[in-house]
Amino acid sequence: MNLNLRRGLPTRRDPGQKRIITMSALVTVGLMVIVCQLWYLQVLEGGRFQEASDKNRIRIRPIAAPRGILFDRNGAPLVDNRPAFTLSLIPRELDRDPDKRDAALGRLSALVQIPFQELRDVVAKTSSDSFLPVRLRRNLSMEEMQKVEEWKLELPGVIVEVEPQRVYPNSRFAAHLLGYVREASDDQLKQGRYRRGDMVGQSGLERLLDEFLRGKDGGERIEVDAMGRPMRLIQSTEPHPGAQVVTTIDRRIQEASEKAMEGHAGAVVVMDPRNGDVLAMVSTPAFEIDRFTGSIDRDAWLRVMKDPEFPMLNRTIQSQYAPGSIFKIVVAAAGLQEKTLTPADRTYCNGEFQLGTWTFKDWKREGHGTVDTLDAMRHSCNVFFYQAGLKIGGAAITKYAAAFGLGQATGIDLGTEKFGLIPQPKSRLRKAPAFQAGDIVNMSIGQGQVLVTPMQVARFMAAVANGGVLWKPRLVQRIERPERGVVWSDSGTVTGHVELNAAVWAFLRQSLWAVVNDGGTGAGARIPGLDIAGKTGTAQMIANSRADKGQDHAWFASFAPVKDPEVVVVVLVERGGKGGQVAAPIARKILNAIFFEKVASAELQG
Amino acid sequence: MTALGGIDRRLLQNVDWPLLGAMGGLVVLSATTLASLHIGRAGGNVALRQLAWFALGLLALLIVASIDYRRLVRLAPMFYVIGLAGLVTVFVLGRTVSGARRWILIGPMSVQPSEVFKICFVLMATWVLTSRWAQPIGKTTLALTAPVLAIPAVLIIKQPDLGTAILLVPVLTALLVGAGIRLQLLGGLALAGLAAMPVVWFAALREYQRERILVFLDPFRDPLGSAYNVIQAKIAIGSGQLLGKGVAGATQSRLAFLPERHTDFIFAVFAETWGFVGCLVLLTCYALLLLRGFDIAATAREPVGRLIALGVTALFATQVLVNVGMVTGLLPVVGVPLPLMSYGGTSMLVSLTALGLLLSVRMRQFQ
Repeated sequence: MNLNLRRGLPTRRDPGQKRIITMSALVTVGLMVIVCQLWYLQVLEGGRFQEASDKNRIRIRPIAAPRGILFDRNGAPLVDNRPAFTLSLIPRELDRDPDKRDAALGRLSALVQIPFQELRDVVAKTSSDSFLPVRLRRNLSMEEMQKVEEWKLELPGVIVEVEPQRVYPNSRFAAHLLGYVREASDDQLKQGRYRRGDMVGQSGLERLLDEFLRGKDGGERIEVDAMGRPMRLIQSTEPHPGAQVVTTIDRRIQEASEKAMEGHAGAVVVMDPRNGDVLAMVSTPAFEIDRFTGSIDRDAWLRVMKDPEFPMLNRTIQSQYAPGSIFKIVVAAAGLQEKTLTPADRTYCNGEFQLGTWTFKDWKREGHGTVDTLDAMRHSCNVFFYQAGLKIGGAAITKYAAAFGLGQATGIDLGTEKFGLIPQPKSRLRKAPAFQAGDIVNMSIGQGQVLVTPMQVARFMAAVANGGVLWKPRLVQRIERPERGVVWSDSGTVTGHVELNAAVWAFLRQSLWAVVNDGGTGAGARIPGLDIAGKTGTAQMIANSRADKGQDHAWFASFAPVKDPEVVVVVLVERGGKGGQVAAPIARKILNAIFFEKVASAELQG
Repeated sequence: MTALGGIDRRLLQNVDWPLLGAMGGLVVLSATTLASLHIGRAGGNVALRQLAWFALGLLALLIVASIDYRRLVRLAPMFYVIGLAGLVTVFVLGRTVSGARRWILIGPMSVQPSEVFKICFVLMATWVLTSRWAQPIGKTTLALTAPVLAIPAVLIIKQPDLGTAILLVPVLTALLVGAGIRLQLLGGLALAGLAAMPVVWFAALREYQRERILVFLDPFRDPLGSAYNVIQAKIAIGSGQLLGKGVAGATQSRLAFLPERHTDFIFAVFAETWGFVGCLVLLTCYALLLLRGFDIAATAREPVGRLIALGVTALFATQVLVNVGMVTGLLPVVGVPLPLMSYGGTSMLVSLTALGLLLSVRMRQFQ
């Protein structure tokens, strides 16, 4: 630059001029410093500021994918989604003045009944710079939503979002089977598969199939201005809903079974003996599945956890009971097949059986008189089976029990299954060569150490009904994705065979028919016009407990029709009393619903 | 020679065209930048108003340039009193904008008396320094100039308008240096000023002003509060990178993340839009303008012209350095507009009047 500073005063060099040149040099240095700063900001750090500028203007708004739906075998939904209102907070849009912010939070606290301290904790936990909505409460009622909307202007940073949420036919419907869905817990978040606020299946099928049921969340990239107002949609990704699951459950039978169990603690399993399909799975008391979805307050949670009735327990697979007289079917099958027992064997039952110094009593104090094998099954005569058991021997009984799958996991997909227990010959003392006689006597009527789950009994009864095929209980038929069709399917798995002579099968069926239809202990399950076969059982909880005092577990295991069985119904009522008096009538209601209420129900639905 | 009528041909020969070229370039850059912001009731509104003010300012420039600056300096005390009166008026009739009373309404226009006062101050300081009472330049001169600075400074700080008040100090310093004050004396004064800093900090500065200085020292002290402007400005400038984002891509400015983007922070908008290369062009314009100003001062034939030119140039230089320094994060945020670039009628009018003074000195260099 041609400054030509000396042009004006060619002859004199006054000190003022020098000073002015110095000052102009200083200003030039100042400008150079600014150029250096600009080089630093724009060229050296430009990329970083570019990112910061994008972060400023682009907001990502997630759109929750609806969770997959579970259907019953006929296409009726077991669980569905509905839009629900979620109350959320955008930390960045809250008032920056702490006093004003607290005033807004206080108002919100009063409107929706969330403790003020809880709201403050949420705010304290999140970065005040974040635009990502933080959920305060899911499933806001319509009334609460309206209140919040009315006060919207006084509540900066508070928004109501619409998100899909689980809805159930009723509050406890198939609670153990379906399982509940909740926000990912801190532990689950640590595994890294979930983001905060993700809904995750926590039990039952929801947990088992979570991978499939969880869809892929979509989202929108939005350009916003400094006030956070959306200006332009940059990119939008549609959410992909979760897969649809077709289960083996029959919603009608499930509902009928739950209704039949009302007021009782226990379990019901309804199974198709032809393929192992689980048509109904009921465990009572059930927890309120809809209250577990979303946020449940601590008190309610503790109440459920500390309930002496253990509503979280799935009694069909997680509780073990002595099978009681149901086990007589195994003993009879073992004896008849091993020829240590014949249908013609007779015993006089006077109500008790003497073994050394021990006295084993029949459930009927005065005894059954002279009974043959079929009578003993029909009337569930203990004395006959004490003697038969001793003749057959412990090893043969446990061998057949194991063959029928008792004391073994059924392999049902839900997991968390209990194994049950069939005592092995050497279980008591290592040196003892075989069972003690007393053990065998106890085992012959399904007491002592024998433990089974209702699901095992159902599989066992299905094998009796279908001639020896052990099916793995099937819960899920197939999983379909909207765009890809079937992604998983299960056509049923046979896990074992019980080989018995045709005559033995025929005898078992005949005797079990007689239990219900020929004046036996299962008469309470009898339905005219339907051939039901079944066996009662009364499992002693403690030695010398009294069934008539309601201290024993009541069993009834049945299948129908006897010719070409279609369903197996197993009922267990905890502390219900005698199987014939308590469990059999429940099974009757369920069977009645299955075979005779179909039309009426179809009309109601149609 | 008359004031307005027939302008002497010799005067016209000495018109400083590079200075006017730099000025024209800056006004064009200002108008395009303002037009890109779409502020106001309709797009381009601010830019059009800026150009209207420029036209008015150009008239003022011509008038001032055609008058002999010595006549204006002789009237300096009158201008100074009028300027002070304007500052006082603000307290009575002032319009409050974001907590500060800086404007008064005259008809449809709002005028910023503290802007107008800058020129009055340069004239007055020149008048005092060239008066015979001030000779020889020394302690007596300092005593004479002290009230010239102190009275308006107090009034302006009370508005509050820290930025304008701070400008007066370097302008007066430059004038004292140019007038030939002993540098030891000035150094002593600077040391005394430094010693008085704590007193100023607690007694004179307001809470928000202190906060701004603290934020300058640590921008992440309060990222959404007082530091917001600084951070957003840095993001805007930095994200412009080498070549800029262009008008459509300048999201920091367009989406209003940048506060005061048409006034004090307009440099950040320009930097985001045109990048480092654009900034070099802009700063070159300012460098040309300032160096021409210093040249006019250095080549002035007599002390009045020299001091007038020096004062005006120092005023420009300080505003440019302080404004760009604060927007780029080199200095704390004080409300100083970028002359010729920032939107503001009074500022534009005053800047052009000041340039008119420079031209006046240049044109009468060889008389």
